[in-house]
Amino acid sequence: MNDMRLLERAVDTQVNKITARKVQVYYGQNHALKDVDVDILDKTVTAFIGPSGCGKSTFLRCLNRMNDTIAVCRVEGRIDLEGEDIYDPRVDPVQLRAKVGMVFQKPNPFPKSIYDNVAYGPKIHGLARKKADLDEIVESSLRKAALWNEVKDRLDAPGTGLSGGQQQRLCIARAIATSPEVLLMDEPCSALDPIATAQVEELIDELRSQFSVVIVTHSMQQAARVSQRTAFFHLGSLVEYGETGQIFTNPKDPRTESYITGRIG
Amino acid sequence: MMNNEKHIASAFDRDLEAVQAMIMKMGGLVEDALLESSRALEERDVELAQRVRSADSAIDALEMQVNTEAARLIAIRAPTASDLRTVLTVMKIASGLERCGDHAKNLAKRTLVLSDMAPVGASAGSIRRLAKSVQLMLKDALDAYIRRDVAMAQEVRQRDQEIDQMYNALFREFLTHMMEDPRSISACMHLHFIAKNIERVGDHATGIAEQVIYLVTGDVPDEARPKLDTVSLPGAEG
Repeated sequence: MNDMRLLERAVDTQVNKITARKVQVYYGQNHALKDVDVDILDKTVTAFIGPSGCGKSTFLRCLNRMNDTIAVCRVEGRIDLEGEDIYDPRVDPVQLRAKVGMVFQKPNPFPKSIYDNVAYGPKIHGLARKKADLDEIVESSLRKAALWNEVKDRLDAPGTGLSGGQQQRLCIARAIATSPEVLLMDEPCSALDPIATAQVEELIDELRSQFSVVIVTHSMQQAARVSQRTAFFHLGSLVEYGETGQIFTNPKDPRTESYITGRIG
Repeated sequence: MMNNEKHIASAFDRDLEAVQAMIMKMGGLVEDALLESSRALEERDVELAQRVRSADSAIDALEMQVNTEAARLIAIRAPTASDLRTVLTVMKIASGLERCGDHAKNLAKRTLVLSDMAPVGASAGSIRRLAKSVQLMLKDALDAYIRRDVAMAQEVRQRDQEIDQMYNALFREFLTHMMEDPRSISACMHLHFIAKNIERVGDHATGIAEQVIYLVTGDVPDEARPKLDTVSLPGAEG
């Protein structure tokens, strides 16, 4: 069946970007994520799906150590980014998050100008020496986020003044301004209308040529549309992980089948 | 991977059941058409043959209805996994059954012509037995579909060999008749087309059985189906 896949749906690379082994997450006494093994491919959109509370967002947050900010949260196991253990004590989480960017459910631009929203990351990470370099990063990030043409004449206007869809694309521009290797997206379209959703999905597909994208979504149709790989989480376990077309036409696990077909599982 | 649990959206279950009920209804009409047309042939019943001919429009209308309903289901429910396979197989089976209906109608049409000609031996009886076997095969394929019974579908698939054998025997019988008595050529040609059409219905029944296997397992059976139809390339024999 895999040979029949349409060309554009094919995964371009088989290079592993992130390798997770035996990942456990505890929130205090609660064992939230159990024995997760997963290989996330480079230049591929990977979707995490599953019912609320299944652990998909928790796992996503493990990938850039956002869980470090939660006091009661404990992560065990090993997660490698290009062969380097991201939980190694020598790794600076702030540096890690420059490499593993994140976009959240609700657009959350800083209460600053559009320009400063995008320039913030490159500035604090010292990625631009001159103002001209910074201008270039801001422009190219906004272009990649398909927002440049809409905002190029008002870069000094506040980011919060944009529409919801534009704000989300601004957040994506902000996330990619530090030239990350991986982009994590936690339900990036749940607060957007269908047009803005389509624009963000188109953007995700374009970003795939440069980054590894991991997206958590409650919309099964969105997972089917944008991803090449889908992982289904249920009750803290990774139940099934495979090529998106296979997951949506012929899932191997009955729990996956129940969930994606909208049955009580 | 099949799933017998109910959908959270109960209207989805009702829609899927309704479209499958249409398939079953179509199957019943096709089985009747096959049995009745072959009976009309043997009993030289012109009126019955006419009734079979005009009944085919009901089968065609049902196929249209299945396609409309399937398109609606895809648009509204965005079915996935076994639900998606149900919708896909329903469409394929409907189109197969529609072809079967056409074959039965063609049988009835030739019966009208044959009723004015001298009977050719006991061939009408043999054709009726062939039709009966094919009708049972079709019925079992549809039963396997509604029960999601892969073993039964495999068994139906194997039975296509017997149909091919019966058809081969008829082919040789007609050949003999034609050589013995050239005046029977016209009737034998019609009878041969009839036999071939019924054999084709057997192929469609096999196709339905294969859809059952795809529906339940998600995989199309890959090993080549047994073939005994050696007369389709007469020059290539021996």
